[in-house]
Amino acid sequence: MAMIEVKNLRKRFGDMEVLRDVSFAVEKGDVVAVIGSSGSGKSTLLRCLIGLEQVSGGSIRIDGSDLCRDGVYVSAAERKAIILRMGMVFQHFNLYPHLSVLKNLEIAPHLVKGRKGPELRAQAMELLKKVGLADRAGEMPGRLSGGQKQRVAIARALMMNPEILLFDEPTSALDPELTGEVLEVMRDLARERMTMIVVTHEMGFARDVASRVAFMDDGRILEEGAPEEIFTRPKEERTRAFLSRAKA
Amino acid sequence: MDYIVRIIPALLRGAGVTLALFALVLPLSLPLGFLVTLCTTCRFKPVKWLAEAYIFVLRGTPLMLQLFFFYYGLPFLPGIGPYLRLSSFAASALSFTLNYAAYFAEIFRGGLLSIDRGQYEVSHVLGLTPFQTMTRIIIPQMIRVTLPSVGNEAITLVKDTALVASIALPELLHYTQGLVTRDFTTTPFLVAAFIYLLITFVVTLLFKFAERKANYE
Ligand SMILES: Nc1ncnc2c1ncn2[C@@H]1O[C@H](COP(=O)(O)OP(=O)(O)OP(=O)(O)O)[C@@H](O)[C@H]1O
Ligand SMILES: [Mg+2]
Repeated sequence: MAMIEVKNLRKRFGDMEVLRDVSFAVEKGDVVAVIGSSGSGKSTLLRCLIGLEQVSGGSIRIDGSDLCRDGVYVSAAERKAIILRMGMVFQHFNLYPHLSVLKNLEIAPHLVKGRKGPELRAQAMELLKKVGLADRAGEMPGRLSGGQKQRVAIARALMMNPEILLFDEPTSALDPELTGEVLEVMRDLARERMTMIVVTHEMGFARDVASRVAFMDDGRILEEGAPEEIFTRPKEERTRAFLSRAKA
Repeated sequence: MDYIVRIIPALLRGAGVTLALFALVLPLSLPLGFLVTLCTTCRFKPVKWLAEAYIFVLRGTPLMLQLFFFYYGLPFLPGIGPYLRLSSFAASALSFTLNYAAYFAEIFRGGLLSIDRGQYEVSHVLGLTPFQTMTRIIIPQMIRVTLPSVGNEAITLVKDTALVASIALPELLHYTQGLVTRDFTTTPFLVAAFIYLLITFVVTLLFKFAERKANYE
């Protein structure tokens, strides 16, 4: 059974069609890189998956549970349970600026799952170690570099033990020399078989780490396949045009 | 010097009323103001309009007029008027609280607008309830952003309390004026100015301290 199953997804803002009939499936452990030009609907797709936007039509299934079916959503409680199985990492990190790094990690599991004490602290420290920031636990987010912020944001998402991670251009707000450290953490997650959808402009990452690449164009997934297929023999003229622009 | 020592007790009694008014109005108008702010963001339009009208009217008319309304005006309301005869202190506290709530509501509205949408989005994704998001994420950040403006208003409030002399509430300015006309000297004005300065100085210090505590960078 697919981890994520999307069928005939549509999303309109007013009378602008941003997603037109998007269908795809993601298997457990897949890393899907979503590429495509600005405004093609990549962010909107991720936001629909995790309930930040309401779909206009179509179905979303997460690990066999419906989030919505033919445009009709399940109950609020079921929706929340499904959303909690996913985590999301944003372009601009969205760390809580008034909380220390450690508190950023602990607040959601504490408030949402009632976890506390040494058990919670141990997981937070372990994840900070994993992203290479154990020594910054007491720091306020404002004092971190962009790359460090994004690594904290990833650790914070992992605190909720998600089965799926969505990334929306996780390195686009970073100075070029800081993207490496974030991509390295994502590479580790891929190696651990985390199911991930990554919207990215990092073609190197898409080629080396992704198990599949999807090219979005004007609200559709125009083409998808293994990285070497998409990058070396794209079928669609528009994919080819996008890739040659991306290289330049 | 002797004269100053002699008038001090009366002026301090007045200052006591000034402080009592301040200490009542500030903690009441802040939460009321935040409530009005929340109402202005309400999706149910009538509530939103009511809150916006409230802010518009109370910021758009003189505080002195509002004070007169609650003290002199209310008893003339048909029907319920006779039950609304407020003491000068009650009328002062009520009109100041309502008026300052409107100013605070406007300040808080700006504070909320300054908070990035991403804070709400990430909270939603992490599973926080809207109430948890508001109390644990948004309000702490809003307080930090608005503290300087709130501090300014607090100082204005200290000085605005002098307005209640106009409905004969015996606060600092009221006593001062009495002494000036009785003794034909301007000294009481100078002493009163000194007392006001002392109060605003302490209030300023308190807010500076709060700002430092709330600063998380
Ligand atoms: N809340 C919204 N209201 C109205 N239009 C929106 C909204 N969000 C997105 N759009 C529009 O939907 C289209 C797709 O936006 P989306 O952010 O999904 O694109 P994207 O592929 O992520 O682009 P980028 O690479 O620039 O991030 C754009 O034309 C955008 O202007
Ligand atoms: Mg986007």
